Formats: sequence, structure tokens, C-alpha cells
Amino acid sequence: MRIVLAEDSTLLREGLTRLLSEDGHDVVAAVGDGEGLVAACDEHRPDVVIADVRMPPTFTNEGLRAALAVRRRHPGIAVLVLSQYVDKRYAAQLVDGDVRGVGYLLKDRVVEVGDFLEALRRVADGGTAFDPEVVRRLLNRARDTESLARLSPREHEVLALMAQGHTNESIAGRLHVSRSAVEKHANAIFDKLGLTHVDGYNRRVLAIVRFLND
Amino acid sequence: MVVVRAAARGMVGLVLGAVMAVVELPWALLAVPLRALPPTRLWSVRVTRMLAEADRVRVNRCLGGAIAVGPAGGRASAYVALRGLLGGLGGAVLMLVGVWVVLSWRALSGASGERAEMSWHDPLTWTAFVVLVVFLAAQALMGLAALERRLAVWGLAPSDKEVLRSRVDQLSRTRAEVLEAVDDERRRIERDLHDGVQQRLVALGMLLGRADRAADRDAAASLFRQAQEESRRALEELREVAWRIYPAALDDGGLPVALESLAESSGLPILLDYDVPVRLGPAQETVAYFVICEAVTNALKHSRARRVEVEVRRSDGRLLVRVSDDGVGGARADGRGLSGLARRVAAHDGRFELDSPAGGPTALRVELPCA
Repeated sequence: MRIVLAEDSTLLREGLTRLLSEDGHDVVAAVGDGEGLVAACDEHRPDVVIADVRMPPTFTNEGLRAALAVRRRHPGIAVLVLSQYVDKRYAAQLVDGDVRGVGYLLKDRVVEVGDFLEALRRVADGGTAFDPEVVRRLLNRARDTESLARLSPREHEVLALMAQGHTNESIAGRLHVSRSAVEKHANAIFDKLGLTHVDGYNRRVLAIVRFLND
Repeated sequence: MVVVRAAARGMVGLVLGAVMAVVELPWALLAVPLRALPPTRLWSVRVTRMLAEADRVRVNRCLGGAIAVGPAGGRASAYVALRGLLGGLGGAVLMLVGVWVVLSWRALSGASGERAEMSWHDPLTWTAFVVLVVFLAAQALMGLAALERRLAVWGLAPSDKEVLRSRVDQLSRTRAEVLEAVDDERRRIERDLHDGVQQRLVALGMLLGRADRAADRDAAASLFRQAQEESRRALEELREVAWRIYPAALDDGGLPVALESLAESSGLPILLDYDVPVRLGPAQETVAYFVICEAVTNALKHSRARRVEVEVRRSDGRLLVRVSDDGVGGARADGRGLSGLARRVAAHDGRFELDSPAGGPTALRVELPCA
């Protein structure tokens, strides 16, 4: 993959560049602020962008705004946003509109190198990746809704993984069950939550996130 | 000498007061209709206040008053009218004293050409008479000055209630400012943790993750070594952040120990002159420490100073802190760090003065009350 990286901490920028190169990716540009990110995307047209939310000069949500700008200018570029702490609004802003090729992860997830690279690949392939912590909070908030209370513990687990953006195969792998079992759970979840049957993996994630965020 | 100077100042004050009465009396009469008419009301109130303020300054400067600026707007017009009368009276007394002194002189010296009724050659009579004249004249003038002061206290000084009200205003303001300063500090700590310590830990985790996935043992070993180094740096950073939040030495050894440690760890030579024989209260120590720390940090970051002098001493129940450097100046009291400290100092009823002209040098002076 061709990647543009935006991260203001030199330490992490270099670390991430190494990590990605070791995994066989091509970091075509590594920048330290939002403007640089937009310019680098205009120039290099990468497959995917990794952006830190908080960057100079304001140190608020520079990176997110730049990532959204990149998506508007080049809808084909996938974006993975990393942040120091969980803010649901960031995730909501990212899925507002097209849900293909977006990801929102806590920076800490980089430490789980395998999971991080998998999430990156998923996003670059047009999938989604939401931080487990974001999903946990969404589920927590929706805990009291009647429909969610009717889910079995196993269905809860499957729902959480679906909301994070995992595919049926990936969920099956993680829960050590067969793919058809996951499909059965998924159908039960859609029935219980009253979501009309949605086809296609991205629309499924979108439906779940919108339901939980409602 | 002091007595003569005070007497001269008092005379100037009384003469000025008599002159001002010439303006004040007519103004007091004129202001009544002016105040009744809406278009001139504001203007007339302003002139009345100006006159009252001029009197306040005169009484404080010349007649030994110590009248604070009070709101006293309500009493200003009554004061100006009464002051006019008193000024007139003062003028009359001054004149009487003058006439009397002159007459006495003539009586003694026979300056009128006639033979003196009392003889020059009788020192006893002469001395007794002069002492009496001077004593009576001084009494009259001092009485007049005392009357001026009392009237000014009545008319201009803030009442107890007004003093209390302005104190409450000041306390509410400084309290709100301190709360703001606390929030600012928390923001700074959050930034320190997220942008410093967290980044290092993520970098450390990343190194371990890469080591775990490394193809050969040599590469893994090198990554583990880097990870170890990174964990050492993370700990260092954490210690620095904790120290910035609150230097534990303040509780342990007090301000001098904390300052020594600051001087030792600073990248700039710091000349420390600490001369306070007793242990200060924890509140004063904390404020003083953070003031010095911020000033030193600023000097290090922005001033291109070659050295910093820190002076801490106590006099008259006040703690004096002075931090000066030989840098390029241009520090601003409304900058983030300094404004927070200024607010903290104000909450302790202290004074905060920053002198930092462009081109330097910079001197920060803080005074804190300490029992």
C-alpha cells in the first residue's frame, strides 16, 4: 500500500514509518500537520492516510479536519484516524456520509502491531475500523434499550466485533466458531434490533453504528 | 528639619485650599441647577468629582491625610460645598494669623516709626511674646489642617461598608481567576501527559511489537535494546511531568531545597540568593516556587539569557521574590504561564510586577504577605 502519514511527534512518526515499511508498505510522505497532510495527498494520491487527531497549530482536532478534507477532495483515499483519547464525535463525523474506508482508533492500538496492521488493511480495502473502546461506550450507552437487552451474551460479542468493522471471517476467527455460526448470530442480531436486513458489509457496519449512536 | 518641612507643606496645603475655595464655593451654588437639568447633569457630576479628587490629593500630600480612593460619589457634592465654606474660613484664619503676626512684629520692633511699646532690650518679654505668637498661630493652623482632614475623611474616604464591598468584589474576582488558573494548569498537565508520556509509551509498545515480529534474532535483540532505552526515557519524562505538577521537595525540605534542585537541573546558570531565616507557610512557598520556576522556564525558552538571578527575602512581614535575567526581554504578563501566576499572586493579596522591555533585561518582582 502507498501511505501518507501525518503525526506531529517525531518519535512516533519515525516509529510508524519503520513499522509500516517492515510490513512491506510504502510510506510516500510523513508530515507533521494538517495542511501538510492535504498537500501530500494532492501530490501523491496514496491508497490510505494515517492521521493523528491532535496536531499543531491548535492542538485540537487538526488531523481529523484534514482527514475529512482529504476524503472530500479524493473520495478514493481511505483514512485511518488515531487519537490520544476516545471521542465519539470524531467517529460520528467520520461515518457521517460514506462509511467506506474509514477508521478511528486510539493511538494505543498501534502497540498491538498485528491488530493495527490488520485494521489498516481493512480500511485500505474499503472496510471500517472502529476502536473497541468507542464501540464499548456506544454499547454501554445503548445497554438499557429493550432490543439490546434481548441479545444473548454471544450475540453481544458478535455485535461488538461487527461494530468495530470486522468481517464475518474475522469474527469467526476471533471467536473460534464457524463462519455460518457467525452469520446465524448476525441474522438474529438484525432481527432483534429491528434493523431491516442490510446486505453488504459496509452498510451493515453503518446500520449498527447509527443504531447505537442514535 | 522634618518639622519645618511638614510645616511648610501644611502651609502650602492651606493656602492652596483657600485658593480652591474661590472655585468651590461658586461651583457648589452653580451645581444645584446644573444637576437638575438632564443635559448638564453628567458633566456637572464629573466636575464635582474632579474637584473632590483634587482635594483628596491635596489633603493627602500636604496635610498628612491618608484617604483612599472611595466611590463616595453620593457625598461629593455635599463635600465640595462644605469644603468651599471651610476653605473660606481657612482663608480668613490665614489672613487673621498673618495680620496678627505682623501687628505683633510691629509692636515689638516699633517698625511703624513710633517707639516700641515693649523694649527690644528686654529679652524675657520679647522671648515670651514671640513664643506665644508662634504657638497661637501654629495652633490655629494645625486646627485648620485637622478640620480639613476630618472633612475629607467624612466626604471622600470610603465608608466601612464601601471598603467591605470593594474587598468582596476583589475576593470574588481573584477567586474566579484562581479557578481559571487551576483549569489552565490542568490543561497543561493533560498536554504533558498525552503529548509526552503517552507518546513515549506508544513508541515503546511499537518497538516491542516490531521485535516480536522481527525475522531474525539480531534484529529482535536490537529492537529490544531500543525498547529498553525508550522505557527509560518514558520514566524520565514521567518524573519530569510529576515534578512540574508538584515538586515533592517543597513538602520535604521547603522552598530553599526545591529552588536548589531547580537550579541544579536547569540548563541555565541560576544565581540563588535565598535569605529567609524562617520556614514559610506552604501556600507562600508554593506560589513563590511556581513564580520562580515559570520565570526561569521563560528565560530559558524565550529570552536567550546567559544567566538568571533569583532573590528571595523577607522584610516587614512580606516575602519579596525577584527573578531577573540578562536576556532580550519582551516577556508579556498576559502570556499563558505568567498570567496564571499573576492571578495566583493576586489571590494571596500579593503584588506582581513584570518589567521586560523589548531588548531586555527582564525582571519579575513578586511580593507576598507572610505572617
